[in-house]
Amino acid sequence: MAGVRPSRVWAFAAYEIRRALARRKVIAMVAFIVLLDTAGYYILAASGTSFIPAQVYPYVWIAGVLIPFTLFIQFLAILIAAGAMSEEYEAGTTELLLAKPVSRTEFFAGKFLGGYLLLTILIILNATLSTIAATLTFGAQAELATLPGVVVVEVFSSALFFSVAFMLGELVRRSSLAYILSSALIVASQIVGTYLSIAYELTGNAFYASIHTYLPTTLAGSLPPEYEQSVLPSVAGRIFELLLGPGSGVPSEAVAAFLVVVYFVVAVSIALAYFSWADVSRRVG
Amino acid sequence: MSAPVIEFAGAVKVYGKKKIGPVGFSVDRGEIFGFLGPNGSGKTTCIRMLLGLARPSAGKVRLKGLDPLRSHTEALTGVGYSPELPNIQTFMSPGEVLALTASEIGLNSGVKAEIDRVLEDVGILQYRDTKVGKLSKGMVQRLSVAQALIGSPQALVLDEPMIGLDPAGTAHLRETFREFARSGGTILMSSHMMSEVEDLCSSVGLIHSGSLLFRGTAKDMVGEVLGGDLVHVEAMGLTAGTIEALGRVEGVIEVTTAADGLEIKVKHGVEARPAIAKMITDSGAELLTIRTGERLLEKAYIEALRSGGSKAE
Repeated sequence: MAGVRPSRVWAFAAYEIRRALARRKVIAMVAFIVLLDTAGYYILAASGTSFIPAQVYPYVWIAGVLIPFTLFIQFLAILIAAGAMSEEYEAGTTELLLAKPVSRTEFFAGKFLGGYLLLTILIILNATLSTIAATLTFGAQAELATLPGVVVVEVFSSALFFSVAFMLGELVRRSSLAYILSSALIVASQIVGTYLSIAYELTGNAFYASIHTYLPTTLAGSLPPEYEQSVLPSVAGRIFELLLGPGSGVPSEAVAAFLVVVYFVVAVSIALAYFSWADVSRRVG
Repeated sequence: MSAPVIEFAGAVKVYGKKKIGPVGFSVDRGEIFGFLGPNGSGKTTCIRMLLGLARPSAGKVRLKGLDPLRSHTEALTGVGYSPELPNIQTFMSPGEVLALTASEIGLNSGVKAEIDRVLEDVGILQYRDTKVGKLSKGMVQRLSVAQALIGSPQALVLDEPMIGLDPAGTAHLRETFREFARSGGTILMSSHMMSEVEDLCSSVGLIHSGSLLFRGTAKDMVGEVLGGDLVHVEAMGLTAGTIEALGRVEGVIEVTTAADGLEIKVKHGVEARPAIAKMITDSGAELLTIRTGERLLEKAYIEALRSGGSKAE
């Protein structure tokens, strides 16, 4: 992109990571990840493992990597993204940052990249802690070579809600409202998806299933398990049935990936266009 | 003649039902321009348009001859800005804030030394590593000025730079700005502190209800608005005849009796004090003090708003 200097983008990205970490909300989420990934396995192990077949033990790390992703990581994405721009407006700091020889695109790109990098780090933290906890509680884990792949897919999929929340934060310029709207989108998408699944089960009408495919929660949540299932041996498929429930109904990984990109491009384009056009807000209450 | 550093030409900003402008004035290189006006008159809006933070609804705004929106990076290069009531990241230290500013302006070498220099300039070097959230309002104000000064800019845009400062801080910054101007820098400074403006600025502009009422030197503004310069006299033994005679001194327009002496209005630019002093001493009265009037800009400011404000609205 013309006029975008990587050094300025990186400066804003580093600043955004620092700013996000300075907020207690994100720190609380990190603490929750640690708790979720460690305590979950210990409780499971301590409460008896009879319902988990022994041949599945080497694959329980998948549960820790994928279960938080379906909802928790999505909320983490919106927690970071929705406040990236809006909290700057609320603090009144945008004005000072932009009254400098930097372009708005550099600022925007840096803020987006910084937030997304932070989310990536947290996804990696989640995967790492899950794997360690699974190993300590259920013994040596298998097929760990697929872990980087699933992390990459999780990072990619999380771009959907991250970009939508980032856009809402810029458009409404109020962090609370942006969180509420983004969360409402996740919850509404989840509820609608459930109704559509039921309707499909009852009627067998493919129309309901096809709409379900396009819902943001379906797209963002289904890609990692779809990917993981495709690369693991069939014995590991049991873990998905036990812990993740039936398949998501997404027709193909390619379609899901394409739709994630569509959501991302549309959200980022709207946010950038508005940010470039609108006046820089002074401190908003 | 070089192009003005700052130029407003019929600039208008419309916020819903509120309209600022059309505003037209320019600030030349090396000038310290005092941007005056009551709260809500449009000073900050003009500054925001100048810095490319707000889009003019009509007219033209130029910074260094460039459109600050279209050529933001080029226009803002070498321009420092200190906002009114600065909102600075509370989780960072002044050193970190200035390091970020250095990154923004593309300062790559000698960053630490430059940070220390500007912190020293504004008198808060000892707080370099203290979190901004723990600094007093005055310290934050100084930090705001420090981040405007980093990288040795050629122009400063200062929105109420002395607000919240103690007298020592005010004096310190005043000297910093003087030094900046002496080295050829241009300053646009909005302020409500008339004494500071009178003391520091080589020219002033008065905006009210979104319209520019006056543009010129502070002395010209006093002369134009008050209809002349003021001479204040304290004397003992003045008679009614002497007071009446003072009215006939060349250049004197009007003599009024004030609580602590006489207030004599003289034609703008005329030095009438020697003749006034002579007449008083010749009359046998004892002259205690004779000086040009104080806080004239403040008086002119108030008078201009009173008389011109209704016209502007």
